[in-house]
Amino acid sequence: MAPEPAPPLPLAIDGLTIDYGERRAVDRLSLQVRPGEVYGLLGSNGAGKSSTIKSIVGVVRPTAGSVRVLGIDAVRNGLAAKSSIGYVPETSLLYEALTPREFLEFVAGVRRLAPAVASQRARSYATAFRLESEFEEPIVSLSNGTRQKVLLIAAFLHQPRLLVLDEPLNGLDPRSVRLVKDLLRRFVQTGGRGILFSTHTMEVAEELCHRVGILDRGVLRGEGSVEELRGRVARGDATLEEIFLRLTREDEGLSDTVASLAEP
Amino acid sequence: MVWADARRYARVAFRELSFQAVYAFRQGNVLPTESARSLVPKAERRVVQSKLLVSAVLGLIAVGGAFFVASAKTVPFVAAPLTPAVIDGGVVTGLLALDAAFLWWNGLQVLPTLLSSAVVPVLEPLPIDDETRRQTAFLVYLRLFDLPVATVVVVTPVAIGWALGPTAGLSVLPGVVSAVVFALALSLVTGRFFVRRIQGMRGGGGRSVVRWAYLLLWLLPSFAILGFLTAATEFLAVLGSVAADGPALARDLLFSVYPVPFGMLTGVAARGFAQAGLSAWGAVGLLLVATAYVLLTAWTGVWLYGEVGELGHLPVARTAAGPLPTYRLRPRSPTWAVVERDLRVASRTPGYAFLLLLPLLDALALGLLTVADAPSRSAASGLALGAVTVAALLATFFGPAFFAIEVLAYSYGRTLPLSDRAVVGGKVILVAGVYLSASAIVLLLASIRVSDAPLFLGFAAAELPAVVAASCLEIGWLFRTARRRGFPIANLYSGAWTAVLVAIPGLIVAGVPLVVSRLVGIEAMALVAVIELGLCLPFAFWGTT
Repeated sequence: MAPEPAPPLPLAIDGLTIDYGERRAVDRLSLQVRPGEVYGLLGSNGAGKSSTIKSIVGVVRPTAGSVRVLGIDAVRNGLAAKSSIGYVPETSLLYEALTPREFLEFVAGVRRLAPAVASQRARSYATAFRLESEFEEPIVSLSNGTRQKVLLIAAFLHQPRLLVLDEPLNGLDPRSVRLVKDLLRRFVQTGGRGILFSTHTMEVAEELCHRVGILDRGVLRGEGSVEELRGRVARGDATLEEIFLRLTREDEGLSDTVASLAEP
Repeated sequence: MVWADARRYARVAFRELSFQAVYAFRQGNVLPTESARSLVPKAERRVVQSKLLVSAVLGLIAVGGAFFVASAKTVPFVAAPLTPAVIDGGVVTGLLALDAAFLWWNGLQVLPTLLSSAVVPVLEPLPIDDETRRQTAFLVYLRLFDLPVATVVVVTPVAIGWALGPTAGLSVLPGVVSAVVFALALSLVTGRFFVRRIQGMRGGGGRSVVRWAYLLLWLLPSFAILGFLTAATEFLAVLGSVAADGPALARDLLFSVYPVPFGMLTGVAARGFAQAGLSAWGAVGLLLVATAYVLLTAWTGVWLYGEVGELGHLPVARTAAGPLPTYRLRPRSPTWAVVERDLRVASRTPGYAFLLLLPLLDALALGLLTVADAPSRSAASGLALGAVTVAALLATFFGPAFFAIEVLAYSYGRTLPLSDRAVVGGKVILVAGVYLSASAIVLLLASIRVSDAPLFLGFAAAELPAVVAASCLEIGWLFRTARRRGFPIANLYSGAWTAVLVAIPGLIVAGVPLVVSRLVGIEAMALVAVIELGLCLPFAFWGTT
């Protein structure tokens, strides 16, 4: 009996290059998110994290390379790929004139969800995020944290196979942070799902991610579990922050910089 | 000294505003994949181009009005006796009303961008004193209108001066200045009303009806001005008969309604007060009323200066909390989800509501004219068919502007599995819906006076494929332009050229069957409209996902 084919990877990026005019934002990036995995994408400001994410979700067209979501070419067959993705952007820019209910109704319509299913999921997540009093308020009047909750609900609404999260904990209160972390852990436990998680917060990445990739000026400087990366920097007790700074060489001259900023 | 600082800050703030107006990042647009350095100058260029376009329209209106008063001895369709002074006064009144309406409309289109760009609040944490910040806000606000305002203030007196002499040209100036100041103040008042009353209104529970009612109330003065222009000949007839032999009270009342006194002032300056149907005391009265409006203009200017400074601090007024939500979602198919979203956005965004309501209210105005004013059944029938024609052309002209909604949250919207066909289809349905609703209003009102329902229904139905065809052509073209440029047509400032370019072939497609109906008949009209649809439909959807 032939062995069962391996389930498709939630995300496979190969040789991804993104140029903005003459500026190269991402340079021949290759990475994979495996089934059941939370993959943390780390990098300094302008390292190319958001550009990478935007190319996965179809906002930015890559200059070269391929992006496959569950085996589907996300550049050539964007609609099919997007159907499997739940996305939380870096900035919570939504249809400000809509209320969360109207926004989720629009998203559910585009994703062709049945009314009963959409309603039940909206109720569950809105209750979990304690959105009752804001559910009928226009998004323009909501705080950043509340908008983030609406985006998270929209990302979970169709039960996607791949979650692409760009700083998803921005602006959330401690209870919601805990809730999201637990939801994400549970999300990858079944169904061959995966998460690509971009963050600047090293503690969160260390706590949540099975593997991390460290992006620096568009190039992947290191990849693996935190343990594996500790081995690369030859320090068994290094924190992820220290690993990050070492691999991106951003620790060089840092103490001198701090000293130069000291008030006379 | 502080004005110099304010000018410097305003220059930077307006550059940012231009950038936001064109690329709309704060509303969720995405960065085009081109050198970021070229974006700012490109945005500034586009804003200037769009201002030039608005200015050209205003200049043409002024020159057209001047040509009319220079050559017209009578006015078509007006049976009432009209002296040259009344014609001059009526035309200048119309010019001023149109200038005010156009500038107000301009303000409505760009004010939400000013609010969402946050260029004024950004100054708040900086160590800038209140007075300088207020001056900066005022200068930024003025720069939204600078070229159009300069055009109105310079071209109108020069054109009227050329047509009626230098005294008449000078006499227009106070009226022009007041039209500008009132338009800028109305833009601010309505913008503030929008933020306080509409933007923060809760959803659900039939509140969308209340929102639309608010929007209607808010837009009514603007429609009144436009309606006045729609009924320009009727207005001239009333003006002529009141000036010639109307009761003194009616004349005094009519001559005190803004902007009639300014218009009549020009009539008097050009031809003398006797020709305007005024005694010497009547002329003094007219002068007093005009002076009162000048004082009101000055007061409004001072008020405007004070209020604009606070524009950045307007909190969105949240309505009182309602009962707990039901969480009942009613998702539609993707195409209908686009239609529903656009209607909901329009119900809280005056710029879009304006586009939707204008054809409907214009249809209402023309329908009422059909009922009230047409002298015979055949004239009423002609008016009603004319009203349907206007509805078709207005829906076709304004429809493409709904494409601008796509810029909102574009960076998020593009991540959804929303096909191009659903977007294009949704917009086309919206335009067709506006046309059908406007036609229905006209037909319902016309049926009171004329009983030839099959003719009206046949005419409206025969034109429908042409409206859909025109819309397919316009939206399909816009869609391709947006995809090519990497960002959608955002608003008046970023997309005015493209929107006008697109509207020209659209109006031709919608207009050809109307011409055919006059020359050949309704059957031929229907045939031409269906052929147009057959040609334009594939264009809209060809190559889309």
